[in-house]
Order: sequence, then C-alpha cells, then structure tokens
Amino acid sequence: MATAFSSFRYADSLVVVGISVCTAFLCEGISWLLIYRTSTYKSLRSSIDKASKKLESMKSTSSSAAASAGAAAAAPAASSKKPSSRAKKMDRVETSLKESTRDLSLSKFKSGAVVAAVLFVVFGLLNSLFEGRAVAKLPFSPIPLVLKMSHRGLPGTDPTDCSMVFLYFLCSISIRTNLQKFLGFSPPRGAAGAGLFPMPDPKTS
Amino acid sequence: MKKSKSAKVQSQQQNGHVLPFKFAKLLDPEASWDKDQLGDVLHWIRQVLGLLCGLLWGAVPLIGAKWILVFLVLSSGIIYGYYAHILKIDEEEYGGHATLLQEGLFASFTLFLLAWILVYSLAHF
Repeated sequence: MATAFSSFRYADSLVVVGISVCTAFLCEGISWLLIYRTSTYKSLRSSIDKASKKLESMKSTSSSAAASAGAAAAAPAASSKKPSSRAKKMDRVETSLKESTRDLSLSKFKSGAVVAAVLFVVFGLLNSLFEGRAVAKLPFSPIPLVLKMSHRGLPGTDPTDCSMVFLYFLCSISIRTNLQKFLGFSPPRGAAGAGLFPMPDPKTS
Repeated sequence: MKKSKSAKVQSQQQNGHVLPFKFAKLLDPEASWDKDQLGDVLHWIRQVLGLLCGLLWGAVPLIGAKWILVFLVLSSGIIYGYYAHILKIDEEEYGGHATLLQEGLFASFTLFLLAWILVYSLAHF
C-alpha cells in the first residue's frame, strides 16, 4: 500500500487533505467540549432561533396587513395605532436578536483561542513538511490575486504548481463548513447574515 | 408487555416509513418547506454537485479556467430548476432568488476546486 501511495507524483496532496480532515474533526471536538455542550450556548442558540422566526412572522404579517389596509376603509385613528405598535414590537424583537447574537459571538470568542492555537500548530507543521514543494497541479492558471497564495514559496514560474497553503485553504473551507453543517454546529441563519461567502464559523476555527 | 411490544412495533413501522417519506418530500411540489429545511436541502445538493463535477472535470480531464464558469452556471441552473420547477416554491417567501441561490455556494465551489485539483493531480501525473 505504501508503494502504491508513493507512486503518485502528487501524493503529498493526500497527506494535506488527510491532515485537514483530522484537524477539522479535532477542532469541532474541542469546540463541542468548550462551547456547544454548555447551557449558555444552547439557550442563546434557541433564543436566536425563536427571535428570528418571530421576526419573520411579524414581517410577513405586517406586509400582508399593509396590503389589506390599502384596500379596506379602516378608521384612520385605529389604523395609525396598530402599525406603530407593531413596528415597536418588531424593533424590540430585532434588538433582542442582535443582543443574543452578540452574546453568542462573545461566548465562542473566549473558547476560540484554543482552536486557533491548534490551527496555528497544524499550519506550522504542514509548512515545515511541504515548504518549497508543489503538492498538486492546478488544472487552470489562477488570476494574479489567487496566484500569490497558490504559488507561495514555490520555485519556478509555472502558475499551475499548487502550494500547500492554497490546498489547505480549500480543504479548510470545504471540509470544515460541511462538517459544522453536518454536526449542526453552523451559526444560525437568523444571526449570521452569512451572505455570499459564508466561512466556517470563525470563532471556533 | 403486549402493549409495549405493539408500541415498539408501531414505532419501528413508523421509523421504517420515515425515510421514504423524507426522500419523497424532496420531489413533492405540494410539500410545505420550512426556510431552514429548504436552505439545508439546497446546501447539500450544491455540495453533491460540487463533488461530482470536481471528480468528473478531474477525471476527463477538463482544463482551463472557463470550466470554473461552466460549473458555476451548471450548479446554479440545477438549483434554480430544482426549487422553481420541481418544488415549485414561491422564492419571495424564502428571501428571494439570491438567498436561495447562494445557499452553500462558496463551500460547494471550494469542494469542487478541491476535488478537481486532487483528481487531476493524482490521475494524470
């Protein structure tokens, strides 16, 4: 098996992926131990989920009420009170959601330092093992911005040579994001506002 | 004893029926979807597409940056086709097209690149 493995010219890429997978499991294990199993995290998570669901239902109720208020002939005094009290309620829920999100981030931040230290050590280990070596071959020529990472520390000018840093970056994002998602540790949708580039939860990695 | 046994059998039967029901929901245009549930389903479909495309692109091999664009268009097209034409959902209820199309996009993109690079490097050198 060892000879079969070494027959691949870029067998180092498998080592990088293997170490990334193990690191991802280790980091999630540490995060579970220090963050996810605590009652603080569980209660904050559940209050964020409840608040975001409540906010969504209030927003959909207010939009349907606004549509019907235009059609129906409601008394001006009565109609002016209801929307403003609804808006105040929505503000309160939104404020409570923001506070819970901030508290959740803080609770993760304190324990995230341990995970950061593990990642630092692993990155240093990989760097020392694969410095100056192309661990894979890219099937495309990257744009200059990406080339800075993909060709970092490599000799020569072949843009398709792939350094450990770039491969490790791809492994980290893909493996850790999906692992967090699979284990149910990814940040709640209501809180994160993840946008186009959701990274694995940075407080735990 | 008999009651507990029948309850156990009933729960086993229910468990036996849970899995087919869940997969049937993935193709049922009449099913109702929670926002989080739909987001999760779209996320995992994206990941499977990213992995499959990466393996295929690397095996052929397909070379050149244009195949990244092909993957992005293909992947987004399949996701759009799935929620718009198979599930037939109203995207406004779930935050609009942008919200649905970006579910799991970045993770699937990096997974696609990883699979493509690995298979290409290991199979063709």
